[in-house]
Amino acid sequence: MSEAESTINEPISDDVSFDVEVRVAATPQHLSAIRAVAADLAMRADFDLDAIADLKLAVDEACSTLVMHAASGTELSCAFRCTPDEIAVRAVVPSADGTPPRRDTFSWRVLSTLADFVTASVSRDGTPTRVRIDLVKKRTTVVNA
Amino acid sequence: MTGSEERLRDGATGQEGDDQSAELFAELRALEPDSARYGELRDELVTRFLPVAHRLARRFRNRGESMEDLEQVATLGLINAVDRFDPERGTDFLSFAVPTVLGELRRHFRDATWSMRVPRRLKELHLAISGAVGELSQRLGRAPTPSEIAAHLDLPREDVFAGLEVSLAQRSASLDEALQQGEQEGLSLGDTIGSDDPHLAAVDERESLHPLLECLPERERKILVLRFVHNLTQTQIAEQVGVSQMHVSRLLSKTLERLRQGLGRER
Repeated sequence: MSEAESTINEPISDDVSFDVEVRVAATPQHLSAIRAVAADLAMRADFDLDAIADLKLAVDEACSTLVMHAASGTELSCAFRCTPDEIAVRAVVPSADGTPPRRDTFSWRVLSTLADFVTASVSRDGTPTRVRIDLVKKRTTVVNA
Repeated sequence: MTGSEERLRDGATGQEGDDQSAELFAELRALEPDSARYGELRDELVTRFLPVAHRLARRFRNRGESMEDLEQVATLGLINAVDRFDPERGTDFLSFAVPTVLGELRRHFRDATWSMRVPRRLKELHLAISGAVGELSQRLGRAPTPSEIAAHLDLPREDVFAGLEVSLAQRSASLDEALQQGEQEGLSLGDTIGSDDPHLAAVDERESLHPLLECLPERERKILVLRFVHNLTQTQIAEQVGVSQMHVSRLLSKTLERLRQGLGRER
């Protein structure tokens, strides 16, 4: 695999299989479906309410970012994998111009605050070029008092 | 006194009535709360100012709630005002009651209005869950999980899921904005935000974020800073700002969307 722009701390291996995948037209108005799925999965995984809300916001932010990077008329895929300790999310769109999301933005800060791990990458091994964001939200164990 | 208060006063009792009310309040405060005369007087005072409460309720009539519900909420506010008014303070009852009733109406819109028809059972479930969340958060020092809420309320987890989903249907956007003004008391923004502006400024250099942040209502800005600069949890923020965690969640979601729109296609 050729991961250009690969990043620090890759949290999700490439051969991982996902439990749930949602595909929507890569436009902002369809992201609510993905948000609802994210919240439902976190709720049923018995995450605490803060973690549920964080995952929902993180998925929203990641997918909104990708929509801005998507080639027009394409689909956004958002896949989820639930394990006892964490929910891993991989969101992918065909890239409009082959550039990854910037990391010096407020949006990136939002993402990295909300998720325990987040990475963005552009893969050029297939056609079309895809831009993807992986993120992981861990179950909250102890909260600093 | 503003014009609108004057009209309210005329509509209610008039000047003589006010003097009489002051006497009634003085008498009320001198009585034991469990005496029969206390109950009578309290009823009389509530009834006397009921037209004021209803008039205030009418101001909110175009917001999708029935007049009957609004009048009930306003009456509740009035009863609270009657119970808490201290005539020794030297202000007249109306100056105390009007903000109290308005506060009750605003709280009603903030906490309990819905953007779509939700079955009563679900509303009640949602209310029970909100209560449990507050209680458990305080006890645990963190947000509870759905199964902790279920255990606390002695309900099946599926019911808790249903109740939590309902919160998605709750109205938040336009009303929060409409009711923003006058709700700012009690938010001591300056202290927390001032010292953090440099951190935020470092991020927003390249994003022209600053003007957008300036445009945010004070409360939204505070919540954003507490979450993304201080890294507080939503539950901790809820405690500081004095709203529920679910409300913090909705406000954050709305604020982030607003920032995204404001930043446009910038990547």
